[in-house]
Amino acid sequence: MDACVTVKNLSKSFGSLAVLEQWNLELGKGERLVILGPSGCGKTTFLRILSGLERPTSGTVEHNHMRIGFVFQESRLIPWRTVEENLRFVNPEGEIKEILSPLKLTGFSHYLPSRLSGGMRQRVNLARALVIHPDLLILDEAFTSLDIKIKLEIMKDIHCWWLKQRFSIIAVTHDLKEALLLADRIAIVTDRPSKIKNIIDVPLGIERKISSSDFIRMESKLLEMM
Amino acid sequence: MRIFSFSRDRVMPGQGNRTLANPPETKPARPSSALLSAIRFVSGIVLIILIWQAAAWIINKSIVPMPLDTLRLFVKGLLSYEILIAAWQTFSKVLLVLALTILIGIPLGLSLGLSNSIYEICRPAIMVIQAVPVISWLTLVIFTWGIGWKGPVFIASISLLPVSILTTVSGVRNLDEKLLEMARLYRVRRADVVKDIYLGALMPFIAAILDVSIGQAWKVILVTEYLCGGKGLGEEILMARMNIDFTRVWAITLIAVSLGIAMERITKILLRRLSQRWTLV
Repeated sequence: MDACVTVKNLSKSFGSLAVLEQWNLELGKGERLVILGPSGCGKTTFLRILSGLERPTSGTVEHNHMRIGFVFQESRLIPWRTVEENLRFVNPEGEIKEILSPLKLTGFSHYLPSRLSGGMRQRVNLARALVIHPDLLILDEAFTSLDIKIKLEIMKDIHCWWLKQRFSIIAVTHDLKEALLLADRIAIVTDRPSKIKNIIDVPLGIERKISSSDFIRMESKLLEMM
Repeated sequence: MRIFSFSRDRVMPGQGNRTLANPPETKPARPSSALLSAIRFVSGIVLIILIWQAAAWIINKSIVPMPLDTLRLFVKGLLSYEILIAAWQTFSKVLLVLALTILIGIPLGLSLGLSNSIYEICRPAIMVIQAVPVISWLTLVIFTWGIGWKGPVFIASISLLPVSILTTVSGVRNLDEKLLEMARLYRVRRADVVKDIYLGALMPFIAAILDVSIGQAWKVILVTEYLCGGKGLGEEILMARMNIDFTRVWAITLIAVSLGIAMERITKILLRRLSQRWTLV
Protein backbone atom coordinates (compact mmCIF):
# COMPACT_ATOMS: atom_id res chain seq x y z
CA MET A 1 0.00 0.00 0.00
CA ASP A 2 1.31 3.49 -0.90
CA ALA A 3 2.23 5.51 2.16
CA CYS A 4 0.43 8.86 2.25
CA VAL A 5 1.86 9.96 5.61
CA THR A 6 5.30 9.04 6.85
CA VAL A 7 6.47 10.09 10.31
CA LYS A 8 10.16 9.62 11.07
CA ASN A 9 11.83 10.06 14.46
CA LEU A 10 9.37 12.77 15.44
CA SER A 11 9.96 14.50 18.78
CA LYS A 12 8.40 17.57 20.26
CA SER A 13 9.22 19.51 23.41
CA PHE A 14 7.76 22.70 24.84
CA GLY A 15 10.76 24.21 26.64
CA SER A 16 11.96 21.56 29.05
CA LEU A 17 8.72 19.58 28.75
CA ALA A 18 9.20 16.64 26.41
CA VAL A 19 5.86 15.65 24.89
CA LEU A 20 6.58 13.33 21.95
CA GLU A 21 9.64 11.10 21.75
CA GLN A 22 10.82 9.37 18.60
CA TRP A 23 7.53 8.64 16.89
CA ASN A 24 7.72 6.51 13.73
CA LEU A 25 4.56 5.84 11.76
CA GLU A 26 3.34 5.13 8.27
CA LEU A 27 -0.21 5.55 7.02
CA GLY A 28 -1.34 4.00 3.76
CA LYS A 29 -3.80 5.57 1.30
CA GLY A 30 -7.34 4.87 2.46
CA GLU A 31 -6.10 3.42 5.74
CA ARG A 32 -7.64 4.25 9.12
CA LEU A 33 -5.21 4.61 11.99
CA VAL A 34 -6.27 5.36 15.54
CA ILE A 35 -3.78 6.62 18.09
CA LEU A 36 -4.83 5.41 21.48
CA GLY A 37 -3.31 6.82 24.63
CA PRO A 38 -4.03 8.41 27.98
CA SER A 39 -5.21 12.02 28.25
CA GLY A 40 -2.41 14.58 28.11
CA CYS A 41 0.11 12.27 26.41
CA GLY A 42 0.55 14.57 23.38
CA LYS A 43 -1.88 13.03 20.89
CA THR A 44 -3.32 16.43 19.93
CA THR A 45 0.21 17.86 19.64
CA PHE A 46 0.97 15.12 17.13
CA LEU A 47 -2.13 16.04 15.08
CA ARG A 48 -1.17 19.71 15.18
CA ILE A 49 2.28 18.86 13.82
CA LEU A 50 0.70 16.63 11.18
CA SER A 51 -1.58 19.40 10.00
CA GLY A 52 1.14 22.06 9.99
CA LEU A 53 -0.11 24.07 12.96
CA GLU A 54 2.95 23.16 15.04
CA ARG A 55 6.59 22.51 14.16
CA PRO A 56 8.39 19.41 15.41
CA THR A 57 11.47 19.82 17.60
CA SER A 58 13.16 17.08 15.57
CA GLY A 59 12.17 14.48 13.01
CA THR A 60 9.99 14.77 9.94
CA VAL A 61 6.41 14.39 8.78
CA GLU A 62 5.94 13.76 5.07
CA HIS A 63 2.55 14.03 3.40
CA ASN A 64 2.70 15.27 -0.18
CA HIS A 65 0.55 18.43 0.07
CA MET A 66 -2.63 16.56 0.80
CA ARG A 67 -5.97 18.20 1.45
CA ILE A 68 -6.51 17.78 5.17
CA GLY A 69 -9.95 17.84 6.79
CA PHE A 70 -9.79 18.37 10.54
CA VAL A 71 -12.61 17.51 12.92
CA PHE A 72 -11.81 19.43 16.08
CA GLN A 73 -12.71 18.35 19.58
CA GLU A 74 -14.80 21.51 19.95
CA SER A 75 -16.63 22.48 16.77
CA ARG A 76 -14.78 25.77 15.99
CA LEU A 77 -17.64 27.03 13.85
CA ILE A 78 -17.86 30.75 13.14
CA PRO A 79 -20.72 31.70 15.50
CA TRP A 80 -22.10 34.53 13.35
CA ARG A 81 -22.15 32.50 10.14
CA THR A 82 -24.81 29.97 9.20
CA VAL A 83 -24.09 26.29 8.67
CA GLU A 84 -23.85 26.83 4.91
CA GLU A 85 -21.64 29.90 5.27
CA ASN A 86 -19.33 27.99 7.61
CA LEU A 87 -18.88 25.35 4.93
CA ARG A 88 -18.45 27.91 2.15
CA PHE A 89 -15.78 29.60 4.26
CA VAL A 90 -13.43 26.64 3.70
CA ASN A 91 -14.62 25.79 0.19
CA PRO A 92 -16.58 28.52 -1.64
CA GLU A 93 -17.24 26.20 -4.61
CA GLY A 94 -18.16 23.18 -2.50
CA GLU A 95 -21.33 21.22 -3.18
CA ILE A 96 -22.93 22.02 0.13
CA LYS A 97 -26.22 20.17 -0.40
CA GLU A 98 -24.43 16.96 -1.29
CA ILE A 99 -22.51 17.12 1.97
CA LEU A 100 -25.36 18.22 4.22
CA SER A 101 -27.92 15.72 3.01
CA PRO A 102 -26.25 12.43 4.06
CA LEU A 103 -25.27 14.06 7.36
CA LYS A 104 -28.94 14.83 8.06
CA LEU A 105 -28.31 18.57 8.04
CA THR A 106 -30.34 19.57 4.99
CA GLY A 107 -32.98 21.62 6.77
CA PHE A 108 -30.41 23.34 8.95
CA SER A 109 -28.22 25.03 6.31
CA HIS A 110 -29.45 28.52 7.27
CA TYR A 111 -29.14 27.93 11.03
CA LEU A 112 -26.55 29.67 13.16
CA PRO A 113 -24.38 27.28 15.22
CA SER A 114 -25.86 28.62 18.47
CA ARG A 115 -29.24 27.18 17.45
CA LEU A 116 -27.88 23.67 16.99
CA SER A 117 -27.38 20.96 19.57
CA GLY A 118 -23.85 19.76 20.45
CA GLY A 119 -24.23 16.67 18.28
CA MET A 120 -25.37 18.67 15.27
CA ARG A 121 -22.57 21.18 15.69
CA GLN A 122 -20.14 18.28 15.62
CA ARG A 123 -21.82 17.04 12.43
CA VAL A 124 -21.29 20.46 10.86
CA ASN A 125 -17.67 20.28 12.04
CA LEU A 126 -17.43 16.98 10.14
CA ALA A 127 -19.28 18.41 7.11
CA ARG A 128 -16.75 21.26 6.97
CA ALA A 129 -13.91 18.73 6.92
CA LEU A 130 -15.61 16.71 4.18
CA VAL A 131 -16.58 19.63 1.93
CA ILE A 132 -12.95 20.11 0.89
CA HIS A 133 -12.85 16.48 -0.34
CA PRO A 134 -9.98 15.55 1.95
CA ASP A 135 -7.22 13.08 1.21
CA LEU A 136 -6.70 12.79 4.94
CA LEU A 137 -9.35 13.20 7.63
CA ILE A 138 -8.04 14.00 11.09
CA LEU A 139 -10.26 13.41 14.10
CA ASP A 140 -9.05 15.00 17.30
CA GLU A 141 -11.08 13.36 20.08
CA ALA A 142 -14.03 14.41 17.97
CA PHE A 143 -16.61 12.50 20.00
CA THR A 144 -15.48 13.23 23.56
CA SER A 145 -18.26 15.63 24.49
CA LEU A 146 -21.07 13.62 22.88
CA ASP A 147 -23.38 11.04 24.37
CA ILE A 148 -23.03 7.45 23.18
CA LYS A 149 -26.04 7.61 20.82
CA ILE A 150 -24.86 10.70 18.94
CA LYS A 151 -21.28 9.46 19.03
CA LEU A 152 -22.23 6.21 17.26
CA GLU A 153 -24.38 8.09 14.76
CA ILE A 154 -21.52 10.36 13.75
CA MET A 155 -19.06 7.47 13.63
CA LYS A 156 -21.45 5.70 11.32
CA ASP A 157 -21.62 8.82 9.11
CA ILE A 158 -17.82 8.91 8.93
CA HIS A 159 -17.77 5.23 8.08
CA CYS A 160 -20.24 5.73 5.22
CA TRP A 161 -18.19 8.60 3.77
CA TRP A 162 -15.02 6.59 4.10
CA LEU A 163 -16.58 3.69 2.22
CA LYS A 164 -17.54 6.11 -0.58
CA GLN A 165 -14.36 8.13 -0.83
CA ARG A 166 -11.65 5.99 0.79
CA PHE A 167 -9.68 8.87 2.23
CA SER A 168 -7.12 8.11 4.94
CA ILE A 169 -8.10 8.71 8.54
CA ILE A 170 -5.98 9.48 11.56
CA ALA A 171 -7.95 9.71 14.78
CA VAL A 172 -6.82 10.16 18.36
CA THR A 173 -8.79 8.95 21.32
CA HIS A 174 -8.50 7.48 24.78
CA ASP A 175 -11.67 5.45 24.31
CA LEU A 176 -11.09 1.78 23.43
CA LYS A 177 -14.52 1.24 21.84
CA GLU A 178 -14.12 4.29 19.65
CA ALA A 179 -10.70 3.04 18.54
CA LEU A 180 -12.01 -0.41 17.70
CA LEU A 181 -14.99 0.93 15.77
CA LEU A 182 -12.89 3.27 13.65
CA ALA A 183 -9.51 1.65 13.05
CA ASP A 184 -7.77 -0.65 10.63
CA ARG A 185 -4.71 -0.30 12.87
CA ILE A 186 -4.28 1.06 16.38
CA ALA A 187 -1.10 2.71 17.63
CA ILE A 188 -0.88 2.49 21.40
CA VAL A 189 1.14 5.28 22.98
CA THR A 190 2.56 5.63 26.48
CA ASP A 191 2.14 8.47 28.93
CA ARG A 192 4.19 11.70 28.52
CA PRO A 193 6.82 11.89 27.09
CA SER A 194 4.90 9.58 24.81
CA LYS A 195 6.37 6.87 22.65
CA ILE A 196 4.61 4.48 20.32
CA LYS A 197 4.46 1.30 22.36
CA ASN A 198 2.79 -0.97 19.86
CA ILE A 199 0.89 -0.91 16.58
CA ILE A 200 -1.73 -3.61 16.16
CA ASP A 201 -4.08 -4.63 13.35
CA VAL A 202 -7.82 -4.66 13.96
CA PRO A 203 -9.18 -7.68 12.10
CA LEU A 204 -12.84 -6.96 12.75
CA GLY A 205 -14.04 -6.46 9.17
CA ILE A 206 -16.23 -3.68 7.82
CA GLU A 207 -19.35 -4.33 9.87
CA ARG A 208 -18.63 -4.01 13.58
CA LYS A 209 -20.88 -4.68 16.53
CA ILE A 210 -19.95 -3.55 20.02
CA SER A 211 -21.72 -6.58 21.46
CA SER A 212 -19.98 -9.16 19.23
CA SER A 213 -17.63 -11.65 20.90
CA ASP A 214 -14.75 -10.67 18.57
CA PHE A 215 -15.17 -7.04 19.49
CA ILE A 216 -15.22 -7.80 23.23
CA ARG A 217 -12.18 -10.08 22.93
CA MET A 218 -10.27 -7.41 21.01
CA GLU A 219 -11.23 -4.83 23.62
CA SER A 220 -9.83 -7.01 26.44
CA LYS A 221 -6.65 -7.61 24.46
CA LEU A 222 -6.23 -3.88 23.91
CA LEU A 223 -6.82 -3.18 27.57
CA GLU A 224 -4.10 -5.63 28.54
CA MET A 225 -1.67 -4.01 26.13
CA MET A 226 -2.20 -0.49 27.47
CA MET B 1 -25.79 -2.22 5.50
CA ARG B 2 -25.60 -2.22 9.28
CA ILE B 3 -22.31 -0.95 10.57
CA PHE B 4 -22.90 -0.44 14.24
CA SER B 5 -25.36 -2.18 16.50
CA PHE B 6 -27.31 0.85 17.69
CA SER B 7 -30.36 2.16 15.85
CA ARG B 8 -31.64 5.62 16.61
CA ASP B 9 -34.12 8.24 15.55
CA ARG B 10 -33.01 11.17 13.46
CA VAL B 11 -33.71 14.69 14.58
CA MET B 12 -35.31 16.63 11.78
CA PRO B 13 -35.87 20.36 11.38
CA GLY B 14 -38.76 21.53 13.43
CA GLN B 15 -38.53 18.54 15.75
CA GLY B 16 -36.34 17.63 18.65
CA ASN B 17 -35.22 19.66 21.58
CA ARG B 18 -35.71 23.35 22.10
CA THR B 19 -32.16 24.52 21.37
CA LEU B 20 -32.22 22.66 18.10
CA ALA B 21 -35.10 24.03 16.14
CA ASN B 22 -37.42 25.80 18.54
CA PRO B 23 -35.51 28.35 20.54
CA PRO B 24 -37.62 29.63 23.44
CA GLU B 25 -39.76 32.51 22.26
CA THR B 26 -39.27 35.71 24.14
CA LYS B 27 -42.36 36.73 26.01
CA PRO B 28 -43.89 40.00 24.79
CA ALA B 29 -43.80 42.70 27.43
CA ARG B 30 -47.03 42.82 29.40
CA PRO B 31 -49.10 45.93 28.52
CA SER B 32 -49.23 46.97 32.17
CA SER B 33 -45.43 46.92 32.52
CA ALA B 34 -45.01 48.84 29.23
CA LEU B 35 -47.51 51.41 30.48
CA LEU B 36 -45.71 51.63 33.81
CA SER B 37 -42.41 52.18 32.03
CA ALA B 38 -43.97 54.96 29.89
CA ILE B 39 -45.42 56.61 33.00
CA ARG B 40 -42.00 56.53 34.69
CA PHE B 41 -40.37 58.04 31.59
CA VAL B 42 -42.91 60.87 31.38
CA SER B 43 -42.54 61.46 35.15
CA GLY B 44 -38.79 61.88 34.61
CA ILE B 45 -39.40 64.53 31.95
CA VAL B 46 -41.96 66.31 34.18
CA LEU B 47 -39.39 66.30 37.01
CA ILE B 48 -36.79 67.96 34.74
CA ILE B 49 -39.33 70.61 33.71
CA LEU B 50 -40.25 71.26 37.37
CA ILE B 51 -36.58 71.68 38.38
CA TRP B 52 -36.08 73.95 35.36
CA GLN B 53 -39.16 76.00 36.30
CA ALA B 54 -37.89 76.31 39.88
CA ALA B 55 -34.44 77.37 38.63
CA ALA B 56 -36.08 80.00 36.36
CA TRP B 57 -37.92 81.41 39.39
CA ILE B 58 -34.86 81.38 41.65
CA ILE B 59 -32.19 82.52 39.13
CA ASN B 60 -32.54 85.51 36.83
CA LYS B 61 -35.24 84.74 34.25
CA SER B 62 -33.16 86.17 31.40
CA ILE B 63 -30.38 83.64 32.13
CA VAL B 64 -32.59 80.62 32.85
CA PRO B 65 -35.75 81.24 30.80
CA MET B 66 -39.16 79.74 31.57
CA PRO B 67 -39.62 76.24 30.09
CA LEU B 68 -42.81 77.27 28.32
CA ASP B 69 -41.12 80.23 26.60
CA THR B 70 -38.25 77.96 25.52
CA LEU B 71 -40.65 75.32 24.27
CA ARG B 72 -42.56 77.92 22.27
CA LEU B 73 -39.31 79.07 20.63
CA PHE B 74 -38.25 75.44 20.14
CA VAL B 75 -41.40 74.75 18.10
CA LYS B 76 -40.94 78.04 16.22
CA GLY B 77 -37.29 77.09 15.57
CA LEU B 78 -38.32 73.71 14.21
CA LEU B 79 -40.56 75.49 11.75
CA SER B 80 -37.98 78.13 10.81
CA TYR B 81 -36.03 77.63 7.57
CA GLU B 82 -32.92 79.28 9.02
CA ILE B 83 -32.74 76.90 12.01
CA LEU B 84 -33.57 73.86 9.88
CA ILE B 85 -30.67 74.68 7.54
CA ALA B 86 -28.34 75.17 10.56
CA ALA B 87 -29.53 71.87 12.04
CA TRP B 88 -28.86 70.08 8.74
CA GLN B 89 -25.36 71.60 8.58
CA THR B 90 -24.52 70.40 12.09
CA PHE B 91 -26.15 67.02 11.40
CA SER B 92 -24.13 66.50 8.20
CA LYS B 93 -20.92 67.35 10.05
CA VAL B 94 -21.76 64.77 12.73
CA LEU B 95 -22.43 62.19 10.01
CA LEU B 96 -19.11 62.97 8.36
CA VAL B 97 -17.29 62.70 11.70
CA LEU B 98 -18.89 59.32 12.43
CA ALA B 99 -18.01 58.07 8.95
CA LEU B 100 -14.38 59.18 9.38
CA THR B 101 -14.21 57.68 12.87
CA ILE B 102 -15.37 54.31 11.54
CA LEU B 103 -13.53 54.34 8.19
CA ILE B 104 -10.18 55.44 9.64
CA GLY B 105 -10.41 54.14 13.20
CA ILE B 106 -11.43 50.56 12.48
CA PRO B 107 -8.84 49.67 9.80
CA LEU B 108 -6.18 51.40 11.90
CA GLY B 109 -7.30 49.58 15.05
CA LEU B 110 -7.35 46.33 13.09
CA SER B 111 -3.73 46.74 11.98
CA LEU B 112 -2.61 47.81 15.46
CA GLY B 113 -4.45 44.87 17.00
CA LEU B 114 -2.76 42.45 14.61
CA SER B 115 0.75 43.70 15.23
CA ASN B 116 1.91 44.24 18.77
CA SER B 117 5.07 46.06 17.70
CA ILE B 118 3.15 48.59 15.56
CA TYR B 119 0.75 49.04 18.48
CA GLU B 120 3.62 49.75 20.87
CA ILE B 121 5.06 52.32 18.44
CA CYS B 122 1.71 54.08 17.90
CA ARG B 123 0.45 53.92 21.50
CA PRO B 124 2.21 57.11 22.71
CA ALA B 125 0.82 59.10 19.77
CA ILE B 126 -2.70 57.82 20.48
CA MET B 127 -2.33 58.68 24.17
CA VAL B 128 -1.16 62.22 23.33
CA ILE B 129 -3.98 62.78 20.83
CA GLN B 130 -6.46 61.54 23.42
CA ALA B 131 -5.11 63.94 26.06
CA VAL B 132 -4.90 67.10 23.90
CA PRO B 133 -7.78 69.44 24.87
CA VAL B 134 -10.22 70.60 22.18
CA ILE B 135 -9.13 74.21 22.72
CA SER B 136 -5.55 73.43 21.60
CA TRP B 137 -6.76 71.81 18.39
CA LEU B 138 -8.98 74.83 17.90
CA THR B 139 -6.06 77.24 17.75
CA LEU B 140 -4.29 74.97 15.31
CA VAL B 141 -7.23 74.59 12.92
CA ILE B 142 -8.14 78.28 12.91
CA PHE B 143 -4.61 79.11 11.74
CA THR B 144 -4.62 76.23 9.26
CA TRP B 145 -8.07 76.41 7.67
CA GLY B 146 -9.60 79.57 9.08
CA ILE B 147 -13.32 79.62 9.79
CA GLY B 148 -15.42 76.94 8.11
CA TRP B 149 -16.64 73.33 8.31
CA LYS B 150 -13.19 71.70 8.20
CA GLY B 151 -12.20 72.81 11.71
CA PRO B 152 -15.18 71.29 13.58
CA VAL B 153 -14.99 68.08 11.53
CA PHE B 154 -11.25 67.71 12.12
CA ILE B 155 -11.44 68.41 15.85
CA ALA B 156 -14.38 66.08 16.45
CA SER B 157 -12.76 63.32 14.36
CA ILE B 158 -9.38 63.60 16.07
CA SER B 159 -11.08 63.55 19.49
CA LEU B 160 -13.05 60.41 18.65
CA LEU B 161 -10.40 58.48 16.72
CA PRO B 162 -8.48 57.23 19.80
CA VAL B 163 -11.68 55.70 21.21
CA SER B 164 -12.44 53.99 17.93
CA ILE B 165 -8.84 52.75 17.46
CA LEU B 166 -8.41 51.45 21.02
CA THR B 167 -11.85 49.77 21.07
CA THR B 168 -11.03 48.02 17.80
CA VAL B 169 -7.65 46.91 19.17
CA SER B 170 -9.35 45.29 22.17
CA GLY B 171 -11.86 43.67 19.79
CA VAL B 172 -9.04 42.11 17.76
CA ARG B 173 -7.29 40.96 20.93
CA ASN B 174 -10.46 39.31 22.21
CA LEU B 175 -10.79 37.32 19.01
CA ASP B 176 -11.03 33.54 19.41
CA GLU B 177 -7.59 32.25 18.35
CA LYS B 178 -9.09 28.86 17.60
CA LEU B 179 -11.14 30.30 14.74
CA LEU B 180 -8.00 31.79 13.20
CA GLU B 181 -6.23 28.47 13.60
CA MET B 182 -9.10 26.72 11.85
CA ALA B 183 -8.85 29.21 8.97
CA ARG B 184 -5.10 28.65 8.75
CA LEU B 185 -5.55 24.89 8.70
CA TYR B 186 -8.06 25.09 5.83
CA ARG B 187 -5.83 27.62 4.03
CA VAL B 188 -8.60 30.21 3.76
CA ARG B 189 -7.70 33.40 1.86
CA ARG B 190 -6.61 36.32 4.05
CA ALA B 191 -9.37 38.56 2.64
CA ASP B 192 -12.02 36.01 3.62
CA VAL B 193 -10.54 35.68 7.12
CA VAL B 194 -10.76 39.47 7.58
CA LYS B 195 -14.31 39.59 6.18
CA ASP B 196 -15.75 36.55 7.92
CA ILE B 197 -13.82 36.31 11.17
CA TYR B 198 -12.30 39.68 12.04
CA LEU B 199 -15.21 41.89 10.95
CA GLY B 200 -17.72 39.49 12.46
CA ALA B 201 -15.92 39.47 15.79
CA LEU B 202 -15.62 43.26 15.67
CA MET B 203 -19.33 43.92 15.09
CA PRO B 204 -20.22 44.33 18.79
CA PHE B 205 -17.21 46.61 19.19
CA ILE B 206 -18.22 48.72 16.17
CA ALA B 207 -21.68 49.06 17.75
CA ALA B 208 -20.04 50.20 20.99
CA ILE B 209 -17.87 52.74 19.11
CA LEU B 210 -20.93 54.24 17.43
CA ASP B 211 -22.85 54.23 20.69
CA VAL B 212 -20.14 56.27 22.45
CA SER B 213 -19.26 58.45 19.46
CA ILE B 214 -22.69 59.83 18.50
CA GLY B 215 -23.27 61.83 21.71
CA GLN B 216 -19.65 62.89 21.85
CA ALA B 217 -19.64 64.01 18.19
CA TRP B 218 -22.69 66.25 18.71
CA LYS B 219 -21.14 67.93 21.74
CA VAL B 220 -17.74 68.56 20.10
CA ILE B 221 -19.24 69.79 16.81
CA LEU B 222 -21.50 72.28 18.65
CA VAL B 223 -18.59 73.62 20.74
CA THR B 224 -16.28 73.96 17.74
CA GLU B 225 -18.98 75.61 15.59
CA TYR B 226 -19.46 78.02 18.46
CA LEU B 227 -15.73 78.72 18.83
CA CYS B 228 -14.32 78.54 15.31
CA GLY B 229 -17.37 79.28 13.23
CA GLY B 230 -18.83 77.45 10.31
CA LYS B 231 -22.57 77.35 9.75
CA GLY B 232 -24.60 75.25 12.14
CA LEU B 233 -26.46 75.14 15.44
CA GLY B 234 -23.29 76.06 17.35
CA GLU B 235 -23.07 79.32 15.40
CA GLU B 236 -26.81 79.92 16.03
CA ILE B 237 -26.15 79.57 19.78
CA LEU B 238 -23.27 82.06 19.45
CA MET B 239 -25.51 84.56 17.63
CA ALA B 240 -28.24 84.17 20.27
CA ARG B 241 -25.68 84.74 23.03
CA MET B 242 -24.39 87.87 21.27
CA ASN B 243 -27.97 89.15 21.13
CA ILE B 244 -28.33 88.22 24.82
CA ASP B 245 -31.31 86.04 23.86
CA PHE B 246 -30.98 83.19 26.40
CA THR B 247 -34.38 81.75 25.58
CA ARG B 248 -33.13 81.22 22.02
CA VAL B 249 -29.89 79.66 23.35
CA TRP B 250 -31.94 77.13 25.31
CA ALA B 251 -34.36 76.50 22.44
CA ILE B 252 -31.50 75.76 20.02
CA THR B 253 -29.85 73.56 22.67
CA LEU B 254 -33.13 71.68 22.97
CA ILE B 255 -33.19 71.16 19.18
CA ALA B 256 -29.58 69.90 19.25
CA VAL B 257 -30.32 67.54 22.15
CA SER B 258 -33.46 66.19 20.44
CA LEU B 259 -31.57 65.60 17.19
CA GLY B 260 -28.70 63.91 19.05
CA ILE B 261 -31.06 61.59 20.92
CA ALA B 262 -33.04 60.82 17.74
CA MET B 263 -29.84 59.97 15.88
CA GLU B 264 -28.64 57.77 18.72
CA ARG B 265 -31.99 55.92 18.87
CA ILE B 266 -32.16 55.37 15.09
CA THR B 267 -28.55 54.13 14.99
CA LYS B 268 -29.26 51.76 17.87
CA ILE B 269 -32.28 50.29 16.09
CA LEU B 270 -30.31 49.88 12.85
CA LEU B 271 -27.37 48.32 14.68
CA ARG B 272 -29.63 45.97 16.60
CA ARG B 273 -31.08 44.72 13.31
CA LEU B 274 -27.67 44.48 11.69
CA SER B 275 -25.99 42.73 14.59
CA GLN B 276 -28.77 40.29 15.52
CA ARG B 277 -26.46 37.44 14.59
CA TRP B 278 -23.65 38.74 16.70
CA THR B 279 -25.80 39.18 19.78
CA LEU B 280 -26.82 35.53 19.52
CA VAL B 281 -23.25 34.46 20.17
